[in-house]
Amino acid sequence: MTKILAIDTSCDETSAAVTDNLSILSNIIWSQASLHTQYGGVLPSLAQREHKARIDFVIQKALTSAQCLMPNISAVAVTQGPGLAIALEVGISKAKELAIKYHKPLIAVNHIEGHLLSPLANFKFQISNFKFPALGLVISGGHTELIKINKIGDYEILTQTQDDALGEALDKAARMLGLGYPGGAILEKMAKLACLRRQGDPKSYALPLPMAGKEQDNYFSYSGLKTAFYRLVEKEKPLTKEKIYNLAVSFQSTAFRHLIRVSSLTIRSSAYSLVPSASLLVGGGVAANVEVRKRIRKMAKEFGIKALFPNSKKLYGDNAAMIGIAAYFKFQRKEFVKDIASLDRLPRFSISDIGI
Amino acid sequence: MKIVDQAVIVLGRGGLIVYPTETTYGVGVDATNQKAVNKLARYKKRPFGKPYSIAVSDLKMAEKYVNLNQTALNLYQTLLPGPLTIVSMGKHLVANGIESETGTLGIRIPDYQLVLDIIKAFGLPITATSANASYQKRPYKISDILENISDKQRGLIDLIIDVGELPHNEPSTVIDTTLDDPIVLRQGEIKLQDKNEVLSRSEENTQNIGKELLQKYEPYLGKRPIIFALEGPMGAGKTQFTKGVAKALGIKDEIVSPTFNLVLEYPGLVHIDAWRITSAANFNTLEVNKFLSDKSVIAIEWAEKVQDIIRSYHDEAVILWVKIAYLPAQAGGQNNNDRLISWGTV
Repeated sequence: MTKILAIDTSCDETSAAVTDNLSILSNIIWSQASLHTQYGGVLPSLAQREHKARIDFVIQKALTSAQCLMPNISAVAVTQGPGLAIALEVGISKAKELAIKYHKPLIAVNHIEGHLLSPLANFKFQISNFKFPALGLVISGGHTELIKINKIGDYEILTQTQDDALGEALDKAARMLGLGYPGGAILEKMAKLACLRRQGDPKSYALPLPMAGKEQDNYFSYSGLKTAFYRLVEKEKPLTKEKIYNLAVSFQSTAFRHLIRVSSLTIRSSAYSLVPSASLLVGGGVAANVEVRKRIRKMAKEFGIKALFPNSKKLYGDNAAMIGIAAYFKFQRKEFVKDIASLDRLPRFSISDIGI
Repeated sequence: MKIVDQAVIVLGRGGLIVYPTETTYGVGVDATNQKAVNKLARYKKRPFGKPYSIAVSDLKMAEKYVNLNQTALNLYQTLLPGPLTIVSMGKHLVANGIESETGTLGIRIPDYQLVLDIIKAFGLPITATSANASYQKRPYKISDILENISDKQRGLIDLIIDVGELPHNEPSTVIDTTLDDPIVLRQGEIKLQDKNEVLSRSEENTQNIGKELLQKYEPYLGKRPIIFALEGPMGAGKTQFTKGVAKALGIKDEIVSPTFNLVLEYPGLVHIDAWRITSAANFNTLEVNKFLSDKSVIAIEWAEKVQDIIRSYHDEAVILWVKIAYLPAQAGGQNNNDRLISWGTV
């Protein structure tokens, strides 16, 4: 029984969770994008103030929902990066304060590792049966990374984005269609409607597949697609409902095709052979999109590997439970922060730098 | 008595109703009645400072309570009624605690005729928050609600409109339109002095222009902060330009878009996206003063949003304003890559 109080304040969301080994006892997220009517006040520039105002409440709520008191906690975990510096700072100071006050070990976690291991939350199988190297794909508003997992805690980035993250590209496409912000989820709805209306065969606009002709570079890139979409939207103005649906599905579909194409090429060309029945761990907000999950599953199948996704909706976006899951493995390896007072935020912390 | 009439009477007395929508069961009170809203807060057990969205019957009614910009109008016209909460700047005509602390207000037009009829007959907006207490299970049937609240909370409900179990649709999606407010862009067009212009035909071209401009200002490196204020529509190449600047500075890291993170810091270079920034105070929380005193090179995308703030750094920093504009696609529309890049001081 390793009970961990985990805290994540890497960007807009203020989150705290209590995990027990790989089980989630509570996962409280105070968020703008969350599906209750929780908007307001989350302009990122206010992030620091907002996090400060909410963090005690959110931690308290996480503890009471888990029916847990600080003395029963085995360790405190916190996101060290990557993220917005001033936002990270709030979670880190609070975690230090609690660790010192209650004499608990402190675990510093990489936010991307949290997303990567989020499919292991409430995992029903023996982790010891896991085959390595495994693969990971983190697709979110801020990151698009294909990762080789040598073992848990030892990662290599196989490829990542050169410019925009996938989630960011979807949000920006929605913005160009005049759908507000953050629009990725709306774009998905529009794309679905386009399919419904035309019996799964939506009218598609021609958009260039990113990096076509530069396949050997093995990079994700969304800047060219964004440019082409901008031109296309300008050309199609004024936009009707029907046009918006079809533009949405065209953009989304091209963006996903590119994701799968580069991922497949990279997996195929990477210098190691896949173990049969190895896993592909998929995390991050964009993975909540049903269409992208379908395409990832299909790709995994072609490689004879198994795609694993988080088992609850809350685990896709930013949340503290995933930080607790990553921290659990660090707890087992006894990777605690040596000098708590001097722990500093790492706004551009790369998952390949863990343990260095 | 008909359900609609009953609901109107209860709402008029400041009562609290539980009603079905196309998503979950919602809880409604008169959003303009302070006592009723206070009662709702007791029911929801909501912590401090969390706003409620409201439900209206149509666009006309929405316009009484919020200022709708073009983005919002597009959304209303194409997607409502439907499972969407659209956030706009409020007109402060609802009870305290409904709008957010920054004055924004979220509006729903539920795709559920009975609710639209009630609101129309009532003539005022009602709150549109899910009927569960905060952090409890999503309410798709009345028992989901009643089993998860206290006697005290149950006692606050004045009317339940039970239509059985609802299809398990996701709660409404919240969309913020206030970032597209023209008010944010009020500062007007920027006039360049000592203007230079060059054509870019590719991403590589744009990068090279960034590289060359940095080299031109190299004598100032480390002596004064150098600000590249980047202006241009989506996909124009602001990040590409910054990649070039980074190359000239010998930075090995991949320069990626700072939209999500707002600030990305590299050795000697800070890359900022100002699109979501709305005031000087907010901008300063990003520790810009520290970057200025470090004499960093600072590349700011969507610089026009924070034009006045950037101008205020005039005494301490070298400021170069860079505009990237799309050129009309050539006949046949084949070359999407032509941009006009102009720069100068302001």
